[in-house]
Formats: sequence, structure tokens, C-alpha cells
Amino acid sequence: MTHPVLQLTGVSKRFGGVQALQDIDLVGRAGEVHGLIGPNGAGKSTLIACITGVNRIDAGEIRLRGNRIESLPAHRRARLGIARTFQKIRLAQQLTVFENVAAGLAARRFARASGWWSMLAPLSSARIAEPVEQALLASGIADLADETVASLPYGKRHFVELARNLVAEPDVILLDEPASGLTDDERERLSVLVRQLARRGTLVILVEHDLDLVGRSCDTVTVIEHGRLIFNGAPAEAQENEAVIRAYLGSAKLARNA
Amino acid sequence: MSDAAAWIVRVVFVAFLAATPFMVDAYWLNMAILALIYALVVYSITVLTGFAGLLSFGQAGFVGLGAYVYGVMTVKGVPPAAAAAWGVVLPTAVGFLLGLPAARLRGHYMAIGTLGFGVLVAQLLNNMVDVTRGPMGLLGIKSFGLDRVSWFYCVLAIAMAVLAALEHVDRRTFLGVVLKSVKYDEISAAACGIGVFGVKLLAFSAAAFLAGSCGVLLAAYMRFLTPDLFLSAESFRYLMMAVVGGVGSATGALISALILTGIPEALRAFGETNVRLLVYGLMVLFVLWFLPGGIGGLLERLIGPRRKRRRSATAQAAPKGDAVAGRAS
Repeated sequence: MTHPVLQLTGVSKRFGGVQALQDIDLVGRAGEVHGLIGPNGAGKSTLIACITGVNRIDAGEIRLRGNRIESLPAHRRARLGIARTFQKIRLAQQLTVFENVAAGLAARRFARASGWWSMLAPLSSARIAEPVEQALLASGIADLADETVASLPYGKRHFVELARNLVAEPDVILLDEPASGLTDDERERLSVLVRQLARRGTLVILVEHDLDLVGRSCDTVTVIEHGRLIFNGAPAEAQENEAVIRAYLGSAKLARNA
Repeated sequence: MSDAAAWIVRVVFVAFLAATPFMVDAYWLNMAILALIYALVVYSITVLTGFAGLLSFGQAGFVGLGAYVYGVMTVKGVPPAAAAAWGVVLPTAVGFLLGLPAARLRGHYMAIGTLGFGVLVAQLLNNMVDVTRGPMGLLGIKSFGLDRVSWFYCVLAIAMAVLAALEHVDRRTFLGVVLKSVKYDEISAAACGIGVFGVKLLAFSAAAFLAGSCGVLLAAYMRFLTPDLFLSAESFRYLMMAVVGGVGSATGALISALILTGIPEALRAFGETNVRLLVYGLMVLFVLWFLPGGIGGLLERLIGPRRKRRRSATAQAAPKGDAVAGRAS
């Protein structure tokens, strides 16, 4: 049997006195949309940070296509094929959409030693402009290529980050609450895009609060609460699982009272 | 302004600079040459701060290193061309080595670290009397045997060539995007696969290369060096030039180097030497208040467009929304 694309075994992370993640296992396969859900503060974003290398884990293993990556720095993991978006969008505001997406090419170009020598390639050359324009087209923002990110509405910026991920042609894409602040049309486009990615063989890990979107898009769901894994399985089963219901009803009640 | 008009402005600017030897006397030609040489170190700040977002308070140290390596070697009989090569290579190597620790520092920590380096170099130049002759000054530096007008055209050509290279890297190359990604957000740059430390090290070395080149030209042109040409106060003067020029704009850096070298000299004609620092300070304040983008930002607004429209057929063919959205709805 082939290795899963991404495999986490016993991942733990502690910040000072707070156990942010405790003994998390997760298996992500090629072509799968894997939902990662949980109440606020459950550790979803921390888990993303640990997989992408922003944070180092204290214990456990992270394997990408069978190879351990937990001790590699973030940029090396990106070059191996892990792309991500951020919960709070992180783009270069003063640069154009085209330039922001072109930055995503670094993962592919620097994966080879020759990448350093091709840094002087003009942005207009085919090997840069073509993949960038394809990614812009696929994300539905081709008409915005020459706009600065600062001039875009918030929802559009999600798609710039997505295009930046697409251009890297990664094996794993981690989307950290990509639907926040989107209009209904944009949500729809996002879920179509996610399905397209999976069909191409990418593992999409979707961190989301919108349970409806998770239910429609995901093949598998992992639910964490207080840094612990409480459920892993099909989305339909998650909605009937007692621990999941308790975790979510709790926060729903809080939301009603607020 | 249209592209054609912007090009006319550029050509007129270069022609105006090229005509300098026919318009001014030897004193002002001398100032113009010095300003063009200093433009190189201001460019080094353009690369370091403007492109990569790093802050150095020690660029004068690299200038001094380049100048004294060239100066001391020619005094000892090394041919000027070989000495010039060493005078560029050595500061670059030192920049690389200093970058190994410095590029791990952030913001003001890096600024203080580089300040320490600048102070160190100034002290060494002053105290290594056996080699540098210290405060007595280094005399007898050999040069390339150019007359003043030839010097002017040489340094003008170098300043314009570096300017063109920097503008090209900044606006049109993948490297420019990589550098600026690091400047705006290191975490997101790393998530894109950009090795932030490597990029900083590259920027730091490139800046040391430019500052070292400035030093070599300075020594070869002036043929007399004293350590106080490379005190830390000079680093701040270069920073001021960069700020007035609009950090990140190479064209602004050049114009600012010319203006800020010229104005104190023009004031000196009134016999008021202390006024020069006041003028520097006022100009920097003026720029920060009224022209946050500096001279470069002003130029951008007047003869932009900054972003070259380079849409291809595919991008233009795309309707509002796109294929994916169309299928979705």
C-alpha cells in the first residue's frame, strides 16, 4: 500500500503552561478533502502551524509521502509540496495580485538548486507569467492581476491566497477558514475549487467553522477540542457523534447567549 | 503621463546630467562626481531597506573598508585594477560573514548590530596606524590616470548602469518579488517556499558589494583618505539620502544623493558650514511630513505608472468572473 500523503502520529505542542495539542493522529490521502473542525481555541490553527513549520512540535511525527518533515523549517516544507492560506490573510498589500501569486512559484523554483540562478527571470517570461495567469484564471481573479492587494475587497483576497497556493502545484493544501468574509457566490466558487483540487489528486485540509460547507465538501472530518482529537470519520457520522455534538452545542449555546 | 512622455523625461534627465561638465566649473564638477559615487552607497540602502526591509546603520563601515583596502594596496604597489577588485570583494565577503549573525536579527536589533560594525571599522581605521596611517591620513594612493571630465563620465555611467539594474530587478524580475515578499511578511514568504534567511543574506551581501564599490571609487578619485570620512555619522547621512530619495526607489536615491550633496555645498558658499546639518534635518522632516514616498514616490505619481501593464492574451480573454465561477453558478 502506498503511503498516505500526510500522516501525523502523536503530535503534541505546548505553549508555556498551555497544552495546545495533545497526541493528535491524522491521516490525509491524495485526492481527499479533509475537514478539520472544532470550537474556537481548539487548536486547529496551531495544528496547521505545526504541519507547515511555523511552530515546531514537542512530540510526535509528521510524515509527507512517508518522509519525516517535523524538523524542517517552513520554507523547506513548502518546497516539498505543502501550501497554505492564513486565517488572517497574509499578502503583500502594496504589491499587485500578479506579484503576490508569482511569489507562490518560489516553492517550485527553489525546490531545485537551479532555482537560485533563475531568480533574474523576468516576470513577463512564459515560465512565470503562464502558471501565474492559469492560477489567476482558476481562482476567478484574472481580471485583477494588475491591482494592488490593498485595493481589493476582503473576499477577493482569499482568492489571491488560493491562487498563490495553486501556482505552487502542491500535494497538500491547508486552508485556514477560507470561507470567512465571503459572499454566498464566493463560497460556492470556493467549494467548487476545493473539489477540483481534490480531483487533481491534491490533499485539501479545510479548517472551517461553516459546518454546512464542511458537510458538503469534505470526505473525512477530524474534530478536535481542547487540543485533543475527539472524532475522525465521515462528515455524516460526525453530526451524530455525541462528543462532537457536545463540543458544538456548547459553543452554539455560548453564541446564543452572547 | 503616457509611457512616451515618461521616456522623454528620462532622456532629458540623463542628457541634463551628461551635460554637467559643460555647465559648471571644476568645483561643482568635483561635487557632482562625489555625489554620483555616494549614490552607490545610497543604492545599497535601496537594496537592503527598500527591497528586503532590513535596516543597517553601518554602511559607512563597508565604504571605509573598500576605500582603505584599495588605498593601502595601491600604496604598497598593487596595480589599481587588482586593488579595486580586492576592494570590492573583501567588503562583500565581510558583508556575507556579518550577515550570518545580523540577518537573524530583526528590525532595530539588526540596526544596532550593524551600527556596532560601523563603529568597529571606524576605530580600526583610526588605530591601525601601521597599515592605515590612522588620523594622519593615507597619502600616495594610485589611480587610473583619468582627468576630471573622464571621471565624471565614468561614475555617471556606473551610477546609471546600477540604477537600471536595480529598477529592472525591482519591477520586472522574480527576484524583486522574492525580496519584497520577505520585506512585507516573512511568515507568508516562508510559506511560499522562500528561504527568508538566505534572501536576507543575499541582500546584505549585495549591499556590502555596492558600499564597497563606493569606497573603491571614492579612494581612487580622491587619492587621499582619512578615517573620519567613514564615521558612523556618515552612515546616517546615507540613510538620510535614502529616506529623502524614498527608500526603495533607486532613481530617488540617485536624485537625492545629487541634491543632498549639492545643497550643503551651495550653503557653504554663504560661509555657514553648520547650516548643512540643519538643512539635512529639515529636508528629512519635510519629506516625512509631506512626501512620505520621498522623491521616488513623487516621481512615481508624476511619471508612473508604477505597474507596467503586461496583461497577456489569456488574462484579457478572461471575462469578469471566470470559467470556474461560470460553472459554479
